[in-house]
Amino acid sequence: MDKNRQGAKASYVAFFVFVAIWIMSPSFVRMGTREAFVEFQAPALHLVAKGRDLARFWELKSKSAEELAAASRDLARINAALELKVRTLEDIRQENIRLRELARYAAPREFLTIVARVASRDSSSWWHRIILRKGRSDGVRPGCPVVFSDRVIGKVSLVHLNTCEVDLVTSPNFRCTAYLEGDEQGRIVLVSGLPANSLGTARAKIAVIPMDYLPPAGQSPKVVTTGMGGVFPAGLIIGTLDANIRTTQDGNFKEGTLQPSRNLFSLQEVSVLVPIHPAAGEILLEKRYEDFQ
Amino acid sequence: MRELNDLKVLPSTRIERLRLIFVFWVFSAGFIYIAGGLLIRQIVQSNELKEQSDSQSRRIILKPPARGLIHDRHGYVLVENRVRWSVKADLSELQPEFQAEYRKLLAAEKARETGHIDREKLQDTARRNVLQSWLDKVWFVIDATSRNIKKNKLPVKSNPVDSPTERLVKIDDLKKHLRERRALPFTLVSDLAFPGADQSVTPEEGVRAVARFVEQFPVDGPIRLDSDIIRTYPHGTLAAHVLGYVKDTDELPPNSLNDEKNELLQKLHYTGKKGAAGIEESFNEILCGLSGWELWTKTSAGYNKELLRKSDPTQGSEVVLSLDVEIQRAAEKALAQIKDSQGKVLPAAAVMLDVNTGEILALASQPTFNPNRLADRVTRTYFDEIETSGGWLNRSIQGLYPPGSTFKVITAIAGMRNKVVDWDDILECGPSYRVGSRDFPEHDPAGYGQVDLEKMLAVSCNVWNYRVGLGVGIEPLAAEARRFGLDTPLLQMPPSAGNKNATELPFPANRGLVIPDTAYKLRIGAGPWTGGDTANTAIGQGFLLTTPLHMACVAASIARGETRTTPTIIHDPGRDGRHQGAEAIGLNGLQLAALRSGLNRCVEEGTARSVMIPGLAFAAKTGTSEYFQKGQKAHLAWIIGYASADNPAVAFCVLVEGQLDTSTWGGKTAGPVARDMILAWAKKTPVSEVKSEAEEPAR
Repeated sequence: MDKNRQGAKASYVAFFVFVAIWIMSPSFVRMGTREAFVEFQAPALHLVAKGRDLARFWELKSKSAEELAAASRDLARINAALELKVRTLEDIRQENIRLRELARYAAPREFLTIVARVASRDSSSWWHRIILRKGRSDGVRPGCPVVFSDRVIGKVSLVHLNTCEVDLVTSPNFRCTAYLEGDEQGRIVLVSGLPANSLGTARAKIAVIPMDYLPPAGQSPKVVTTGMGGVFPAGLIIGTLDANIRTTQDGNFKEGTLQPSRNLFSLQEVSVLVPIHPAAGEILLEKRYEDFQ
Repeated sequence: MRELNDLKVLPSTRIERLRLIFVFWVFSAGFIYIAGGLLIRQIVQSNELKEQSDSQSRRIILKPPARGLIHDRHGYVLVENRVRWSVKADLSELQPEFQAEYRKLLAAEKARETGHIDREKLQDTARRNVLQSWLDKVWFVIDATSRNIKKNKLPVKSNPVDSPTERLVKIDDLKKHLRERRALPFTLVSDLAFPGADQSVTPEEGVRAVARFVEQFPVDGPIRLDSDIIRTYPHGTLAAHVLGYVKDTDELPPNSLNDEKNELLQKLHYTGKKGAAGIEESFNEILCGLSGWELWTKTSAGYNKELLRKSDPTQGSEVVLSLDVEIQRAAEKALAQIKDSQGKVLPAAAVMLDVNTGEILALASQPTFNPNRLADRVTRTYFDEIETSGGWLNRSIQGLYPPGSTFKVITAIAGMRNKVVDWDDILECGPSYRVGSRDFPEHDPAGYGQVDLEKMLAVSCNVWNYRVGLGVGIEPLAAEARRFGLDTPLLQMPPSAGNKNATELPFPANRGLVIPDTAYKLRIGAGPWTGGDTANTAIGQGFLLTTPLHMACVAASIARGETRTTPTIIHDPGRDGRHQGAEAIGLNGLQLAALRSGLNRCVEEGTARSVMIPGLAFAAKTGTSEYFQKGQKAHLAWIIGYASADNPAVAFCVLVEGQLDTSTWGGKTAGPVARDMILAWAKKTPVSEVKSEAEEPAR
């Protein structure tokens, strides 16, 4: 009994000593420990994600020959349609290049695309984050936009050696400018993630909607990136504007809620757009990040 | 047991018992004192002490509301608000950085061994250095032209010599902020969309700067994007004298707080705006709205700690003006084309109003100013530029001028009402008319020969007016001018609006209006009244002084066959068209018809024929009066009238100040402005009201 009590006391003491050391230790030690923990945790995340992929693989493998033959036929049709689309897009691209040269118009920001599998999701009310299985060693940098097809998913916030963390569009740390479909004057609005209530759904707010803006009848207007902020390419879909648009109390603008374009927590794979030339904000983020190393 | 019995626990002697009782009562008294005090503080003084505690640990921050919008009569926005994105630093979050920088500077000072160290100055420098480094980062992000991102460089530090002033944190501004508004965030960039003080940034570049900050600057941290609302005038200089502008104020509009309850609390406020001229000033109470407030707890260092409650500001109410934006634009555009021989724009004014309701459709004055450049930061250069050009003066309601020949309509009415002349009387009018020992000239050296009322109005014959004016006499002539309200203050607010002396626009010319008579001349010490004075008055010269708005009202009154028009700048669709003090003009049908016909002939064949509009008949009377500016003779060009001639709907008056030359004439100089205003009105008016389709004549 006494030994048990002493053991309990010792564990309490050890805990408080650890907490005290943690609090008093310099910030680089804490950041280093955190980074080490992330790197230590990374293989486990990889393993879990790969296990999930494997389970999916065996699930598909167990399909009958008839089902596979039918899926193969469907894929062949889709493939043919996509090939046609690729050719059309290539023609448009060439025409675009020719017109840009004629107009001496500067090329837009160029990006490298890194496809990354989702390793883990953190949908707690605080974070709204996903972790990707690509990191610094793959060329991912902080501040890079993350997309799926033509949809905005979020922005890379922290980059580790083999993984990176992405703030989703519903994260309180996410902020970008956007255009609303149907606004012919092309006025910018502000999209920012909101802290969700416990057990509540993830939301983002659209602010500074002009008072005279009228959404197109019978549909939820798309919210698309402006391309003016130097982070996201123009024309990506962030989501749609909820029907419930309200006037702010000061009476100058309207505001509404963003419905994200995808179910952000069911994503399997996304693309990280790494700009060839870093934006100013990325340099600030990177330098700040390096300061902590 | 025995040992226990041996102990003396209870007092055995009387002295000991008394001592015990004494101690008991002392302790009891002490307890009662403490418990009583506690009760008094907890129950009796509870509210008072709570208020004291709150007043020391809480503060209220007042937030100014957005001002109400101003529309024209058709609902077009003339004045609105735009969002101003500002970058602000939360000083409480920057405390650790301030302290770290201070320690660094202190260590450097100590290492230098300079003797006395001014620690307060070091603290200010530390704060400035930290804020400057953040400001450099902000500019690094928002200004795409001043960095080389390819080299992956962090922002270059600004320095007081080479850097533009808006990129530097000024230590005096910082000290003032810490002294007066420590709890409020410190503004690093006050208008992100227009960050340069010289307003050289295009709107698109401004929006890009906002977008870059929003997307690239870290969301978490001490630097915040803050938004507030500032006044914007989307049409620039259009109707600037009517709309006015706003200026900073520390007196915020009322708020929903119970002031008695929160009297002891410390109150801070953001800078608000109040009207400084025009409608912005005279309707400030309607436009200003209700302030919002936030109740914060504060730290011992004076920074905000926790937001307890808040109430958002409420926007001010709208004001709908009677102006028509298209007519106003046409008037200002036409005025801007009137220039002297050096190409300098001449001072001028133009008014158009609704004949029936008196609602003012256009009220323009030149030179003017751009209220957008006065709404936020006013540069000394721009202020001086307006001052030098005389742009502050609203000439249409504040400018006092002799009305010249436009006054001849009053002389003619006085002549007919006093039976000195009738509508068909023909007077012989030579090249001059002798009054006393002086010959008063006709403006045509050949004279006009036989002249009746219609011809007089068409050719603006002076001699006819000398004869009629002298026949009537100065007192009846002055009485006639008063009957038409030329000495009456205009734009008075209705008595129900509260202050009976309030006016719809600030400072209309109410005191300087002059209708001369014998008493007036004696009062100013200019000697006894003479026949020459009457002759001068009859042609609108001499001591007469009036405003363009007054003359526009005279034209509107004649168009209706009445004596008074009450002008207003506020639109009211239910206005009944009754005019204060108005009575019938007092002419018989033939006289009134001849008067109107004369005004029509002025346009068809007379002094205003150069601005005739094919297919749209209108009535007018031109005038060219003389005045002295800087000792040299110059002309004032006038035109008054109404349109259309047979179905009057709008009345107008245009005045142009000739500058040190005499090449300015009523029909030639002021006429084109009136024509453009009429065309702008006709374009928007059903053909049935105009009676004939208006066409733009070739110039």
